[in-house]
Amino acid sequence: MANVSGNAYGLTILSPIRNGVVRGAEISHADAVREKLQAWNHEFNSPMASVPQTYLCRFYVLDDVVTQSLPGGSALDSLTDLSPYIPDALRRWALPAEDHLQSAYLVFSSNLFCGPAGTPDAYLHGMWNAIEARVREIWGHCYGFDEVRNVDDFVGYMKKCQLEATLFFVGSNDAPLEEQLKALYLKQEFAKFAIDNQGLPAAQLRANYAAFVQRVQPENVQGPAWQPGQYRL
Amino acid sequence: MTQQLDLLDIQGHILRAYGRFSYPMARYVFFNIRDSGKARRFVESVTRRVTTAVVWGAGVNDVPQPDWTVNIAFTYQGLKELEVPRASLMSFPPEFAEGMKHRKDILGDDGPSAPEHWDPVWQDNRETRDKDVHIFIALNAVALPITEPSAVEKSMAYCEANLQAAYAWLLAEVAGANGGVVILGGHRGDDGELLDYQDVKVVTENGLPTAKEHFGYTDGISDPVFHGVPYDVDRLIGRGKQMDNGSWAPLATGEFLLGYIDEAHEYPPAPLPNLLARNGTYMVYRKLHENVASFDSYLKQEGQKYPGGEELLAAKFVGRWRDNGAPLTAAPDAQSKAKFDAAYAKADSAERDRMLNNFTYDADMSGARCPFSSHMRRINPRGSLEMGREDTDVPGSLKKMAGAFDTPGALSNRRRILRRGLPYGKVTDRTTDKGNHGIVIMMLNADINRQFEFVQQQWINYGNDFKAGNDKEIILGNHSSDPRFASRAVLQVDPAGDDVPYILSKIPRFVETRGGEYFFIPSMTALRMIARGVIDPT
Repeated sequence: MANVSGNAYGLTILSPIRNGVVRGAEISHADAVREKLQAWNHEFNSPMASVPQTYLCRFYVLDDVVTQSLPGGSALDSLTDLSPYIPDALRRWALPAEDHLQSAYLVFSSNLFCGPAGTPDAYLHGMWNAIEARVREIWGHCYGFDEVRNVDDFVGYMKKCQLEATLFFVGSNDAPLEEQLKALYLKQEFAKFAIDNQGLPAAQLRANYAAFVQRVQPENVQGPAWQPGQYRL
Repeated sequence: MTQQLDLLDIQGHILRAYGRFSYPMARYVFFNIRDSGKARRFVESVTRRVTTAVVWGAGVNDVPQPDWTVNIAFTYQGLKELEVPRASLMSFPPEFAEGMKHRKDILGDDGPSAPEHWDPVWQDNRETRDKDVHIFIALNAVALPITEPSAVEKSMAYCEANLQAAYAWLLAEVAGANGGVVILGGHRGDDGELLDYQDVKVVTENGLPTAKEHFGYTDGISDPVFHGVPYDVDRLIGRGKQMDNGSWAPLATGEFLLGYIDEAHEYPPAPLPNLLARNGTYMVYRKLHENVASFDSYLKQEGQKYPGGEELLAAKFVGRWRDNGAPLTAAPDAQSKAKFDAAYAKADSAERDRMLNNFTYDADMSGARCPFSSHMRRINPRGSLEMGREDTDVPGSLKKMAGAFDTPGALSNRRRILRRGLPYGKVTDRTTDKGNHGIVIMMLNADINRQFEFVQQQWINYGNDFKAGNDKEIILGNHSSDPRFASRAVLQVDPAGDDVPYILSKIPRFVETRGGEYFFIPSMTALRMIARGVIDPT
């Protein structure tokens, strides 16, 4: 499938947000979703950092489609445009109508490790198990989400909202997240080691390197590594 | 699928002229920011009480109509003090960054309208950091419905109490900001005293509240109607845009709200990011003093000479009769006015609205009924600007020259402006221009330069687009007191008839600017983002 690249998966979800006002408040559901998501900026880490195997993800609220110009026509339309015999009103009447969405959409786009299975099921299970309350807080504003009672309902709901698009972020391979975080950690620690030990005699260098390897444990992905969502040193 | 507006994201002030929704009194308060972080928390707290454009009453939303409304806007300096990122600030248009005071040459704010005559709060603005106007907050108070004249007093007392409650709330918010914001005083009051706020209130006539200003005209009758405003759908005729087949269509949303397609079928230039701009707009705040003595005496002096008499002359100044707002296009003389009045008296409110608004200048292209320099024709020429004449036409006549544009109103559809605000002060002595009385007008548009400034410069203080040379708009024009440059205006007559045009000469300045500024009215989303400091223009 086009949204699978090796062991990586490009998940794109568009969930229609309910129209109207949030009960008891003077705010629309779309604006409430946006406000809650913006408040995530003020938490120590995004709740999505707790969701296993998330390479990178983003949320946004799509208010409406964007118009880029008057709807274009075919080659025939270009000819009629130039013809003085086609009345202006007829030409306008034949133009396509301006389109609008019937509701705002919550867009959730995530790149994740899906493994050889090539499906997002395991990832979505992990998401529900890790942050069910946070998921409800956001998707609770979307149409039909009140029917979601358990993890299977959630996976089913998300798949209904899925757009099979090849939206991949660059800057990531398709290894499991733990391996990628370990690799990033090793790269950074090794650069520090190289700077700190520059110009040392060989024996000293070898001894220091042995100590370094023991400390960073390159083979052990469970050992010292970056944490998911970590962006502060 | 038609455009749906997120009314809960749009400030109520933009879509509603509160006066029309039974809010006859308001108080405008202006602030200076002393601490950015505390000011953002103040904005956050105020935002929770800001009134949106939601449809009130039982129904889908079930949001009750508030006893008092709160709306908020910011100047360019205000946004800077709130630490909106530099890249966002730079994406605002230059006229907004410059502000109204420094646009005086374009606006014609000269002579008695020049900034040195403005109220101290506006004189001091943009001079020193601690006197700069940063935040505008408007409080509008609701009155009880008036079913009979005896209920007026009770209704207005109720309104007054609501306004006091609103102001008490605001003062508590200011106290809670711990010095982060201070109220800027310096609004001239009725007895020359300086107040901490600008109060506005409907003018009463024989004890009854009216929609009139101090010269006696009904104000704001033909406010524009645009796509997506649910409470304006039955107000389209005469307020939308004039179409070829005589029908009316709502104007494009993007003429009045940022983030939507406008009449040129493109998005108006707007600040970045999109979320900062979308569902917001610009507001021009102007305090306009009305010289009632000059107006009355000039009207009397010219009215004695004018063939149609004083009251018709007053109607010629504006394009509408003073008593009921009857348009001159429908009631050009005493005889037709009497017929209009008889029909008007029998009409229900919907029909009355139609009678006041459903007209074009198509049958009055030469301006014999509604003069080219009258207020109404200058502010909104409807489909009449595409005019011309051929050599064989009667001298002095003009006719519609169709064909160059999509719609007859193409030249005015891009210059429409939403008008908000109410009169201020009370006229106690009509024999003097002095005193504290006029109107605070707030003009809302998506592009201050293209809409407000253009209308002010080209259509109010100049007449070329109306084939009227440099004749100014009669009521609002910045008429010169210098006898060498005395203002004139021509009241046209039927070019084929025997009457001769009447020339108004030495028109005094009826209206003087007393202050004002350009503001940005953000959406609810943008307010929350400004308060949180999460505006990200990248």
